[in-house]
Amino acid sequence: MSAARGYDHAAVHYTSDAELLAVAVPFLEGGLTAGEPTLVSLEPERAELVRDALPSSAPVDFLVTGDLYARPAAAIRSYRELMAGLVAGGAAGIRIFGEIPQAAIDSSWDRWARYESAVNHAYDQFPLRSICAYDTRTTPRHVLDDVARTHPFVATPGGGHHTNAGYVDPLSFLAVQRPMTPLPIELTAPLAELADPRPSAARRAVTAVAPAALADGELDDLVLAVSEIVDNALRHGRPPVRMRIWADAGHVVVTVHDTGAGPDDPFAGLLPADRRVGGRGLWIAHQVCAQVTLHHDDTGFTVRLVVGRLPVQAQRG
Amino acid sequence: MSKPTEQERGPSPRARDHVCRGYRRRAEFVAEAREFLAEGLAAGERVLYVAPGDEAALTGQLREDGRCGEGLDSGAVQVASVDAAYPTGTVVDPAGQVAVYAAATSEALSAGFTGLRVAADATSLVRTPAQVDAFARYEHLVDHYMAAHPMAAMCGYDVGELGGEVVAQLACMHPCASEGATPFHLHGHGRDGSAAALDGDLDLESRGLWPLALERAGLRASAGTIAIDAAGLGFVDHRSLFELADYAERHATTVVLRTRLTTPARLVELLGLPGVRVERAA
Repeated sequence: MSAARGYDHAAVHYTSDAELLAVAVPFLEGGLTAGEPTLVSLEPERAELVRDALPSSAPVDFLVTGDLYARPAAAIRSYRELMAGLVAGGAAGIRIFGEIPQAAIDSSWDRWARYESAVNHAYDQFPLRSICAYDTRTTPRHVLDDVARTHPFVATPGGGHHTNAGYVDPLSFLAVQRPMTPLPIELTAPLAELADPRPSAARRAVTAVAPAALADGELDDLVLAVSEIVDNALRHGRPPVRMRIWADAGHVVVTVHDTGAGPDDPFAGLLPADRRVGGRGLWIAHQVCAQVTLHHDDTGFTVRLVVGRLPVQAQRG
Repeated sequence: MSKPTEQERGPSPRARDHVCRGYRRRAEFVAEAREFLAEGLAAGERVLYVAPGDEAALTGQLREDGRCGEGLDSGAVQVASVDAAYPTGTVVDPAGQVAVYAAATSEALSAGFTGLRVAADATSLVRTPAQVDAFARYEHLVDHYMAAHPMAAMCGYDVGELGGEVVAQLACMHPCASEGATPFHLHGHGRDGSAAALDGDLDLESRGLWPLALERAGLRASAGTIAIDAAGLGFVDHRSLFELADYAERHATTVVLRTRLTTPARLVELLGLPGVRVERAA
């Protein structure tokens, strides 16, 4: 099956290296035969496995996954820029065999599940075929359930490619609200709490409590994100707006809550809004913060921003 | 130890010599004007007081300060009635008005003074939108003149009569203004051959003001780019950079923002703004 236009997004569930290679190798070789840019974004161990299984001269690009998968909205931006460049260079088809790094699955799967769903829309303008690899021996059940809802196709050894009956349209998948688990530091008293702050007051408050351990760039990024999110709350939300700040030596958490309904765009933050429709504040926050969580509930809409390094046991949520 | 050649941070000290005073009571402005003019007299400047009322009344206001009184007697102090000089509804010609003050500054120098210092209550010159537009353009233009010549000015505006928004449109064209009058300053005290200098914060508070100020500043391109000395810029949000990109597009130019902040370059890259380039300020 060929996908000349639009995004063909498949998943493979594998139980052994042999099974992984039985899907990856024919897929990549097919791309090379068709003269398509052919890319691999796997963690080093599996990248080596695939590299060794391909002819040494095969012109396959191996991407470095660590930076690429630092945050979902940034991964979407990077891949879109990459593919736009390839298409501009004359590519009629693009193939990517990849995986979400284990650390991202373990620490923030809910965000990556949204990524896996959103890309069906975000990459659809490109002539892309991709296969996302999930090791059923190590991937938790709830993750595999989401994989089944976010990939319209399933790949099987030897070039098999089947429609996935369990696929859910991104608009429906993204509309389902997931619980926002408080981070441990949110269970302590905030260092600052501001009612209806102007953006300038919000920026000052963050700067005042930011730990010295935060790199300069990280603090600037947080100040920018907070200013944009408070601007959004004042512009689009409903008063009262309440902002809270927590910080320890290594990270800063800021929540901005208003009593409005929040954005109704299911892709909010993951893709830049049309400039004539709204600003890019939420998308920018997603690009520059280590972690952004959006949450709607009976009390209104909350944006939670995190910069710095979360304590390891606190990453889920 | 700092080297003598090291650049000063922020606007130059002389930028404090063009100040916008939004006042609530006229007496506040009169008192501040007296102080401002007395400082000029102490520095050997010719001083000029421009305000509503006849010359006798203006002279009377200045005589309350002994230093100004002496200046009146010696001829170092001049007064002018704004009503007499400008018929009601006058829309100033920005370049013409600057030329008037440039000539007056030259005259003061020829007469042996070290410069010219003006305190002017300009409220009556900004009562209509057309007057505000022209006067805001003038305020920016004359600041360029002041940055390069020995002229200083304090411009008074009645906030109660004009409203905070109108005064902000004028205050933002000065390098210095009353606390809270404007969130940013787009003025003429720039360095390194820049077309203008930019201080303060650009965010929600400056939303309507910023594009207006950009248009009114009449920034001049040099070799196809307009360089803004933004060393004094404390924050800029993405919508303000969009405004800057729109400005660049309307004028078919590239704006170079020279700033110490790290986020503008990041935003320009993220948003892919074609007409804006960010450089590291010295």
